[in-house]
Amino acid sequence: MIAFRYTKTDGAEYLSHLDLLRHIDRTLRRAGVEVKYSEGFNKHPRIFMANPLALGVKSVAEYCTVDCDFTGDFKKVFNTFSPDGIKCLSYKIVEKNAEYAESIKACTYFAKGITPFDANEVLQKDGIIITDLRGRCVDIRPRIYSLEEADGGIKFTLGCGTNNLRPDLFCSFLQSVYGGGVTEIIKTDCAGDNLF
Amino acid sequence: MNKVNLSEIRDILLSCEKPSRYTGGEYGLPAAKEGEINFCMCFPDLYEVGMSNLGIKIVAKSFTQRGYCADFCFAPAKDFGKKIKERGFPLYSLSLKAPLKEFDIVGFSLQYELCYTNVLYMLDLAGIPLRREDRKGKGYPLIIAGGPCAANPEPLADFIDVFFIGDGETCDADAAEIYKKLGDTEEFYREISKIDGVYCPCLTDVIYGEDGKIKSFEGIKKVKRALIDDLDGAIFPEQIAVPNCESVHDRAVIEVMRGCYRGCRFCQAGFIYRPVRKRSVQTLTRQASALIKNTGYDEVSLNSLSTGDYGKLKELLFSLKKELPPEVTLALPSLRVDSFEGEFAQEARRISLTFAPEAGTQRLRDVINKDITEEEILHAAESAFNAGYSAVKLYFMLGLPTETDEDLKGIADLCVKIRKLYGKQKRAKQLRISISVATFIPKPFTPFQWEKQATEEEVEQKQQFLRSVLPNGVKFSWNSYYPSLLEAAFARGDRPLGKVLEAAYKNGCVFDGWDSELDGEKWKDAFNSCGISPCEYSRGRDEDEILPWDFIDMYIEKKLLL
Repeated sequence: MIAFRYTKTDGAEYLSHLDLLRHIDRTLRRAGVEVKYSEGFNKHPRIFMANPLALGVKSVAEYCTVDCDFTGDFKKVFNTFSPDGIKCLSYKIVEKNAEYAESIKACTYFAKGITPFDANEVLQKDGIIITDLRGRCVDIRPRIYSLEEADGGIKFTLGCGTNNLRPDLFCSFLQSVYGGGVTEIIKTDCAGDNLF
Repeated sequence: MNKVNLSEIRDILLSCEKPSRYTGGEYGLPAAKEGEINFCMCFPDLYEVGMSNLGIKIVAKSFTQRGYCADFCFAPAKDFGKKIKERGFPLYSLSLKAPLKEFDIVGFSLQYELCYTNVLYMLDLAGIPLRREDRKGKGYPLIIAGGPCAANPEPLADFIDVFFIGDGETCDADAAEIYKKLGDTEEFYREISKIDGVYCPCLTDVIYGEDGKIKSFEGIKKVKRALIDDLDGAIFPEQIAVPNCESVHDRAVIEVMRGCYRGCRFCQAGFIYRPVRKRSVQTLTRQASALIKNTGYDEVSLNSLSTGDYGKLKELLFSLKKELPPEVTLALPSLRVDSFEGEFAQEARRISLTFAPEAGTQRLRDVINKDITEEEILHAAESAFNAGYSAVKLYFMLGLPTETDEDLKGIADLCVKIRKLYGKQKRAKQLRISISVATFIPKPFTPFQWEKQATEEEVEQKQQFLRSVLPNGVKFSWNSYYPSLLEAAFARGDRPLGKVLEAAYKNGCVFDGWDSELDGEKWKDAFNSCGISPCEYSRGRDEDEILPWDFIDMYIEKKLLL
């Protein structure tokens, strides 16, 4: 099996999760990487993705595991046959599925466009209640792990998986309090097991 | 050309459904480079429909092959269209992200009549005046159109500068070459009119008599259809863009044949694509292999009007199986009943089989020249059942010339017979039969071009009768009448109908081909405001009446159609 880290930038941030999976499948077929198929009535290629990224959020820290016996230069062939913005950054051969959907616990993002504010003010709050996409009121404060000013924007780490908080929702919240307009959100790193 | 900056509309993209339709960056999208001639190939329907179309890729390739620039554009869904219009952000092309207005030539593919408002919608979003007259001499792109509906171009004649009728492999690019030299001049139109397939509405006047019928054509009185003799050697796009989001036919497509051996009298395609031209097994295998390699698709579709009639089908299937990677499946749409063989079906894991007997009795099938017998239908159904199929879908037309209740009863009888056949053996699943009836639309260049279309009352009566005789448990679905009436009007329409089209668009009609979007009331208002009734177009015509499309030479003797 091969685990790899890849990008979702240059327009690819507008691809839905399902379309992204389809693109990776086709990239591998074009590249001549023979992916193993599941057994059963509805056979599907054994490509294991991490949790979906919200639409419009760029990333240089996506992870995926592919079940195959490929031994060549994976990064080189993948990048030769992949669409713009979906590019392999690094890879390694692994024994079993890295199960990134489970193992990634937190993600770090960088966002631009929100009016500058005091990060400590946000972090000092005991609770931050917002309405999520399904209309439920949730306290997001426990899901915010860090927040700081950086390079003309903000850098922040949010929970992923069980303690998940969408970066676009978080930015909308900040925007609603401090003003401005988000022009870019990019996922820069992940924390969890089996990463590289 | 100027380019748009998509980061300016990040918020719009994120508030619309499937934004990846508007961002470009498709794998394999031939990188458009600005050239001496910049051409934008537009498809007046959604991205996921247009990206599945082969014709636009052929035309685009005919431009790039000559070193010209060819880019694409699709009709944006209503949410995106509305928002960019409000912001004054122009409709732009897929690859270069250049506003349509910046191109030298903007072309539309006319695949079905109910997409005509979308042509106006795209021009409007691009900030290009809709009417030919309003663009004249103002430096706007040349607006061209082609595709099967160009067989009767007249309803769009007020909006389109040049039509291309027939095969689009060479004539579009030939005309572009002349445009490069002469620009938007009268000489240009005169010059391109010498090319087969080119129709310039500005050079043909239609004279009406006092009875409201056409008296004569003035100016250029005859336009020949463009015809490619050698399909095997014709342009074929082996490098195509893989859509960003799933398209309606998300697979590689090869065109096995053009034209059809059958002469079903209702079928316009069967007449306007004559004669039958084929590609060789060798060429098709090469093209399919290249497509799979270039796209990463896992399915190849063998397209034509009737793939089962391809003489070397077995040889072709064998060759494809041998050359293509093992996981690639083959799709054979448009198999006729009598060419269906269980062995093809077994390869694909399918449960439902679709037949189009079109009419319920042998008598009526003979009238429409659909040369299949009940025996053949039953035989095909039986081999399908034995291959494991447990559902049958049957397509019929309603309102065919000479149709009686007896013919409708025949549809019900056929269902009973199919069910009996299925019950002959013990089978694991219960049989599902569904019947779908469409209203017959008499189309130009068919032997039924003079026929009237059944009225709304007649169609309703027929549907009701059919419902009353169909055996229990048969799923019955039908098309609503108004879209069929509109389709008939625009298929058989003349130039004055353009006013109605424009009024309908101004009333807010777009995506009329989508059942959920078609707004009959707005269309009725549009017809009323122009003082035109759609029934003027669905009426029967006298055999000596001059028809709006009579100036086009489809290489079919009119006598042959009578």
